[in-house]
Amino acid sequence: MDVLKIVWAVLLGFMIWRMIPVAREWLKNGPRGTSSEWLTTALLLGGVILFVLFLISSLRAS
Amino acid sequence: MAGSTPISRSSESILATNKVLRNTYTLLAMTLFFSALMAVVSMAINVPPMMAMASSIAGIVIMMFVLPRFEDSTAGLGFVFLSTGLLGLGLGPMISSYLSLPNGPATVATAMAGTGGIFLALSGYVLTTKKDFSYMGGFLMVGLIVLFGAIIVSLFTQMPALNLAISAGMILLMSGFLLFDTSRIINGGETNYIRATVSLFINIFNIFTSLLHLLGVLGDE
Repeated sequence: MDVLKIVWAVLLGFMIWRMIPVAREWLKNGPRGTSSEWLTTALLLGGVILFVLFLISSLRAS
Repeated sequence: MAGSTPISRSSESILATNKVLRNTYTLLAMTLFFSALMAVVSMAINVPPMMAMASSIAGIVIMMFVLPRFEDSTAGLGFVFLSTGLLGLGLGPMISSYLSLPNGPATVATAMAGTGGIFLALSGYVLTTKKDFSYMGGFLMVGLIVLFGAIIVSLFTQMPALNLAISAGMILLMSGFLLFDTSRIINGGETNYIRATVSLFINIFNIFTSLLHLLGVLGDE
């Protein structure tokens, strides 16, 4: 099992290594969102949080 | 005549986008069904956890290294089913262990329904409004790097709080990727339906496993 954990860690490390230049490129030259666009995103992700909390509470009540 | 060119290009582009969208959702439905079937098979034949972990790693490796070479050909379809099937096979022992808990069947069913709800709501929002979420790219990439770093730490430590934080972060991050990936498809940023399907499959898969973990831990008094 430890060998597989090491394989997982190496795989994830490799993914991080490959993603760093992509992330740098996106941050430098990617499109920028306006404050209203980020507000929309925050509201949508906030909705996801509330939905997950609702699922947890409904599961506890059952 | 000169004025008709942009209009015809635009309608061609819309047709191409609709075709990618239709093919993506058809293939996504088929891969999700196949992956679920493989998870059921895995539970039925009691695949050992070590083999399940190896199966998941093999699925990820195929997605990362083999699939990109075949994503423009029909052979890519075979590799999509192979990788998603292996990921489904790897889920078997995890679902079995949750099902054996006192509130297990309800937990698994809630995680499935919750994943479906999140996917339908976020995809439906993007498909209806046709908003462009490409500005989230940098934020999502940085978030994924941080999360992968945290997962590496959690592999070698026993920190339940960290595992919970990773699951919560994964649900939020993959929800963000759902918005980002769907908007890329409908705005013409993604023209390959095999790549689009794999992206959406990974988002749904991660939301399901993370939600299952959260509900399994927090869903009981």
